[in-house]
Amino acid sequence: MSETVAIGTPRPRAPRPEELDLKFSESAVAELDALKTHYPDLKSCILPGLWIAQREYGGWLPPEAIAEVAFRLNRSFAEVEGVATFYTMYNTAHKPGRHMIEVCTCLSCHVCGAYRIVDYLEEKLGVKLGETTPDGMFTIHEVECLDACDRAPVLQIGDQYVGPVTSEMVDKILDDLRKVETPSAVQLSDAVVKVHLRDGDK
Amino acid sequence: MAVDEGHRTVSVTINGIEIEVPQGELIVESVKRLGLEIPVFCYHPRMKPVGMCRMCLVEIGFKQPDGSVRMMPKPQAGCTLPASEGMVVLTDSESVHRDRKGVLEFLLVNHPLDCPVCDRGGECPLQNNTLAYGPSTSRFIDLKRHLPKAYPLSQYVMLDLERCIQCGRCVRFTEEISGEHELAFRFRGASMQPSTFQLLDFESKFSGNVIEICPVGALTSAQYRFRARPWDLQTTPAVCTACSNGCNVWFDHRAGRFVRINGRINEGVNEEWTCDKGKFGHDYYNSTDRLRTPLVRKGDQFVEATWAEAYEEIVKGLESAGKDVAGLCGTRIANEGLFLFNRLFKQVLGSRSVDHRWTRTLGTSRVQTPIAGIEGKKGVLVFGSNPAEDLPIVFLRLRKAATRNGTQVTVVTPDVTEADAFATVASRIGQGDVLKVAQEIVDGQSELARKVADCLKEDGAIVTSDRVRNLPGGGEALRLLEDLAARCGAEFNCYPTGPNAMGAELLGVLPGDGGLDTWGILQGCCSGTIKALWLLDCDPTTVEGGDQALESAEFLVYQGVTRSEATAFANVVLPMAAPAEQDGTWTNCERRLQRMTQAIAAPGDSKPAWRIFSEVILRLQPSTPFFNPREIMKAIADADPRFLPGASDLPEEGAILSATTQAAMAGDGA
Ligand code: SF4
Ligand code: FES
Ligand code: FES
Repeated sequence: MSETVAIGTPRPRAPRPEELDLKFSESAVAELDALKTHYPDLKSCILPGLWIAQREYGGWLPPEAIAEVAFRLNRSFAEVEGVATFYTMYNTAHKPGRHMIEVCTCLSCHVCGAYRIVDYLEEKLGVKLGETTPDGMFTIHEVECLDACDRAPVLQIGDQYVGPVTSEMVDKILDDLRKVETPSAVQLSDAVVKVHLRDGDK
Repeated sequence: MAVDEGHRTVSVTINGIEIEVPQGELIVESVKRLGLEIPVFCYHPRMKPVGMCRMCLVEIGFKQPDGSVRMMPKPQAGCTLPASEGMVVLTDSESVHRDRKGVLEFLLVNHPLDCPVCDRGGECPLQNNTLAYGPSTSRFIDLKRHLPKAYPLSQYVMLDLERCIQCGRCVRFTEEISGEHELAFRFRGASMQPSTFQLLDFESKFSGNVIEICPVGALTSAQYRFRARPWDLQTTPAVCTACSNGCNVWFDHRAGRFVRINGRINEGVNEEWTCDKGKFGHDYYNSTDRLRTPLVRKGDQFVEATWAEAYEEIVKGLESAGKDVAGLCGTRIANEGLFLFNRLFKQVLGSRSVDHRWTRTLGTSRVQTPIAGIEGKKGVLVFGSNPAEDLPIVFLRLRKAATRNGTQVTVVTPDVTEADAFATVASRIGQGDVLKVAQEIVDGQSELARKVADCLKEDGAIVTSDRVRNLPGGGEALRLLEDLAARCGAEFNCYPTGPNAMGAELLGVLPGDGGLDTWGILQGCCSGTIKALWLLDCDPTTVEGGDQALESAEFLVYQGVTRSEATAFANVVLPMAAPAEQDGTWTNCERRLQRMTQAIAAPGDSKPAWRIFSEVILRLQPSTPFFNPREIMKAIADADPRFLPGASDLPEEGAILSATTQAAMAGDGA
């Protein structure tokens, strides 16, 4: 973004629909088609569309994923990118490690020792908040209130909340996670899609 | 935007003055009725209000049955608040002023205040509002945020993210007016940034407008960048001469040189918008290719000549060619020049071979719907040509009609068009199939034909352009559709696309009885039946057989604003003033006659077309010369009463000429 570009030179353009490399699986397309019927217009379907894409693209939304959602919902690329970059649960900046551990550091959790957990995680994994371990296994993030203050300090991994956590529990959690193949962001996205699909059936 | 709910009015009290306003009118508009102003950033009268910037905060209260007034506890945004009965508005109270100071202080927290190096400085709403309503000193001592400052979004539009105040005008323009929704806000909160997808090319054909509506210097023009300060500019109202739509523009110039084009309001034509072709397409005024002195060929070389020498040469050349002379012209020439060009050939030289058309098959235009009239149509068939490309302002109206008034649009074109996005039906014409598809529509049997019939059944219009004549079978297709329109009571519009093509047509710059048309003339040059050819600001080398024709012509006059490929073939080259370098009238595609006054002087010895022809005619035939374009307009109106509005002072918005096609002057000269 900070690249210097000579004024007046033609800029690279966004891909045309026929140039897109579409990655949605058949079942994903079917899910999206089902979700489309839940809303009065396709604009409203952008959020669930992005969840499907986040699952299909392995736990994050690269520009191609955003373009695919826009194409499938007949919206402009920019509009969908605007939505995707607004919400923090869509991973647009970079691909997270296989497992994403989100530590709530908001008030209640903070009071109950969230930063001790953060420090422990950072030391144990050798990475800072927002970073991914070199083996690509873990990414740790700090997040705002997860609405589970009764379990403070709480972690979110995939669609699961864990808490109140202690350092000993963290060791076990990490060991268990190493054995899980499905990336947590994919698992979370899939769970959200399922909820959307179910809600529509009611 | 006045949200008109029926015709009911309500009474509101603004700063103690009671007035009647339409129910539901936005308060920001209502106060204008009293000559007051509420400062705004995000509000734009032609787009939906969003209430994003809070600059327009006012105090609101309501009259109670007992006559007292109950004020609302918090200030309200005037741009989203519809007027209702008994409303009390304060725009000038102490608390309103405090609120404005607060809002501006917040906006300036994230603004770099680099006004001394900002193109917008001097005409910047943020600067103006801060001066009028803002705090006089800053309490901000922290580091400012830093973001990219000179990012080219496209070859025309530069983005400075530090200056953006996140008002969303640019985003809403692409969403509501031009329709591609190419700009959107990425990220959120203080990091929110207007941008294209991945900051890739901003491809809209109307991108230049966001430069004008951005209330700060966040979006600036790559072309105008650092070329002038607004207070150094002089401006002249002008008409854009990049295409036939005739948008009203401000022609900004500095020290006699063209600097930039901005949109000017004309509700009947462009409202306030411009297209990029117009906004960025006037650079030729300053081009090094401008012709500055008459040139006369001596052997293989051009030598600079005086006008007298050039005319002498021309008279010799024309006289030796006798009646075998012909004239071809472009369409970026004012009515007055075209009229005398026509007269020179048809009356003075006795030739009937003149033409202004360059399409593969030739025909005349037919226009029944004025540009603003499109808004009121129930159904519109777009046939054969992409309106966003060929008729940009007609396109914006069409989009407005479809998105705001529910006009049903059917697009039948060879290529994908911008209009597909709001069309109910978009159908493609296969290569070479124009006539076939038109026939199919007229026959009324196919699915497409039924859809078209449905679209045109009530208060419909067909929109197409002369470019369709470039397609094989295009001319015939247009004829079929014209008949179809007549049969189903729809209006038929084959808009011309050349800047003053409509003027040329009305003035009869067309072959007379037995005269040759464009292609006949070019052929005639090759076969020797045309000995002398006059090119008025056109370049036949760009069309098939053009080079050969120019090579074969015994005597060639090239009259133009800039040098072109055709110049090389000429015997005499005449430098001509560009549109804004002369007084003159222009006829746009809806037959709107608009007057332009001279903004800057023509470079070197160049003269306006009308003067050149007046002087040439004088040398060929004893006559009274014309001394100014107004006299010529009188002569035009005498010859063709349709032009009568031009003989007196035209209203500012121009006047639409009547369509009655009483055998124009095509036949026997003006
Ligand atoms: S770039 Fe200008 S128009 Fe767009 S949001 Fe920022 S301030 Fe508003
Ligand atoms: S503060 Fe952590 S869940 Fe509420
Ligand atoms: S002008 Fe009213 S909120 Fe911006």
